Amino acid sequence: MIRSRMAALGVAALLLAACGGNGAGTQPRKKSELTLYNDKGAWTRFFDEMGALSKQRIGLGMKPTGYTDSAQYQAFIKASFRTDVKPDLFTWQTGGMLAEIVKQRQVADTTDIWQEAIKAGDLSQDLAPYYTIGGRQYCVPMNVAYWGMFYNKKIFDRHGLRPPATWDDLVRAAATLKNAGVTPFYHTSVLFSFVWFEQLMAGTDPDLYDRLSTGKAKYTDPGVVQVMEKWKELIDAGYFMNPGDKTDPGDVMKNGKAAMVSFGTWFNTSMTQRDLRAGADYGFFVIPNVNPALPKTSVIFESGPLCSLAKAPDPAASAKYLKWWTTAEAQEKWATTRGDVSANPKVTIEDEALGRITKEAGSGKYRLVNRYFEATPPPVLTAALDGFGKFVTEPGAYREVLETIQKEADEYWSTHQ
Amino acid sequence: MTRAPMLGRFRHGYVAPAVLLVAALLYAPFVWTAYLSLTRYDGLSSPEWIGPANFAELLGDPALLTSTRNTLIWVAGTMILPVGLGLLVAVLSYDIRGGAWFRVPFMLPYALSGAGLALVWSPVLSHGGIANALLGVDTAFLQEAPANTLAMLLVWTWQQVGVNTLLFVVGLQSIPREPVEAARLDGASGWRLFRHVIWPLMRPLTAVVVGLALVASLKTFDIVWVLTQGGPGRNSETLAVTMYKETFVASEYGYGSAVAVMLTVVTGLASYLYLRRQVR
Repeated sequence: MIRSRMAALGVAALLLAACGGNGAGTQPRKKSELTLYNDKGAWTRFFDEMGALSKQRIGLGMKPTGYTDSAQYQAFIKASFRTDVKPDLFTWQTGGMLAEIVKQRQVADTTDIWQEAIKAGDLSQDLAPYYTIGGRQYCVPMNVAYWGMFYNKKIFDRHGLRPPATWDDLVRAAATLKNAGVTPFYHTSVLFSFVWFEQLMAGTDPDLYDRLSTGKAKYTDPGVVQVMEKWKELIDAGYFMNPGDKTDPGDVMKNGKAAMVSFGTWFNTSMTQRDLRAGADYGFFVIPNVNPALPKTSVIFESGPLCSLAKAPDPAASAKYLKWWTTAEAQEKWATTRGDVSANPKVTIEDEALGRITKEAGSGKYRLVNRYFEATPPPVLTAALDGFGKFVTEPGAYREVLETIQKEADEYWSTHQ
Repeated sequence: MTRAPMLGRFRHGYVAPAVLLVAALLYAPFVWTAYLSLTRYDGLSSPEWIGPANFAELLGDPALLTSTRNTLIWVAGTMILPVGLGLLVAVLSYDIRGGAWFRVPFMLPYALSGAGLALVWSPVLSHGGIANALLGVDTAFLQEAPANTLAMLLVWTWQQVGVNTLLFVVGLQSIPREPVEAARLDGASGWRLFRHVIWPLMRPLTAVVVGLALVASLKTFDIVWVLTQGGPGRNSETLAVTMYKETFVASEYGYGSAVAVMLTVVTGLASYLYLRRQVR
């Protein structure tokens, strides 16, 4: 009898454990340390330093939880919307991905933070559109990045090369390097397979690039086909390293496996982590337009948001943190430790080349083009990344690749216009 | 006191915790996935019912053809390499002095997880990597299909031979000595002894080893995901990778669920058909 009662009790306990909530989600509790979920696992050390500084300055500590697989990370954040396990702060992507979660009313409104920061000169008005949905702002910039070309300065010096002023200069430099037995450019078939597509598109016809990302142009349009043919020409000329080489791009630069690597300014962190010195070991230049007739040089721009949830465990603490994050004091630290640029115009950028591009971008010298990763809706992006991955290993298949991407785009835009 | 009254009316209570756990952790998610496969769902808004449209799309998707082909290569390759070599190593090392020591090196890679395995082999198979240097060739092993799947299959073999060897050795040890000795007395040895006496006696264990390998190869995921992410251009995707990519990368939860349901049906059916034949 006793045993059967014990069994019944055990079942009841399990049922209670399975069905009962923890009840803590209903009443916000004051927090003194926030958890920042992010998909930038490699930056844990930098987030830790920010946590130590914020604890000292505003009495709010921060601990990062870094993921390295972004798909897994996004699935976790999406799942947290429906459970009681909610992050205090989390990184995300601007563009369609941000719009998607704002539409679900999951993201905390940061309009007040933005207004104050713009007034105080901590954020620029130009950045606001990336964070504005339906007239309100959401999240604050975790980082900003301008894309250009990192180059191995020693290799350039050895072959008498200088940063190119025109597209033809760039191709001539590539030819010189190739003839000397140096591989000019890095590219890859995984994840960052879009880099050269977006660069060639933006430098050839930035309007077409914008129309493509909103479903108003087709991947099979003649302008896009021409860009792929241009890209193929460069591959056929032997200017790229083998996309099957899995060497980390940071090491590619350091070892001189390729002389040039195109990435966002955040790649500078990889350089400083490898003890490479800007100006002596490597440099950075803005990639000239393919089409010299364009009025402004196109520069790919990205900004990654730092967000909090409308139903965060302690919404006031999360908002306080986001506000602090935008200040010059926080941004100075964030930019300096990583050797990167900042969203705050007051921050002095130590690196000369990066400081210059930030200043010039702020003065309206460039046409800033939203990075392909943020500009393209997820299902189309997935098909495109696969497609470009196929293209770099099999350049002759470019028409088939464009058709496959367009098929996915047709399907997406038929339900999302 | 007898056992029956102790169990009494509460006898179901004893199995209830296990039943509840299995229902909550295995059946409920499966039913939910089956439901999602009939919807359009981005993981955020409410699922929108679209009936069997995902399955119709799936059947016309050229990517499915590629992942099915790759999955079949994985299944066939697993039977020939990890299972076949496992059997070979077991048979060759079973009856010799110090055979256990001979088997140790085959066992060591089994300590690695699938993701760890892939990370270890990535610099080996990379273009300009260790394999290129050792073989003196200039091949990107992970680029062209189906060579990339075959390269990954070799990595998988490196890890799996050991455990299959171990299982086969257990099988060899459990064979009764009498029929083997009787066959020897009748003059059977070598291949004939193995083919007509040892192999039939090992059949129950072979069924288990092959059954496990069949299921493991049908759901191949981690090694492919870490080494190639199914690329370049989807050419090394398996069904499990397609399922993951559609669901979590493209945020097409409904379509990804349809792949999951199909994979479950294929795995269940293959296991059922195989085991029914073997355990008759």
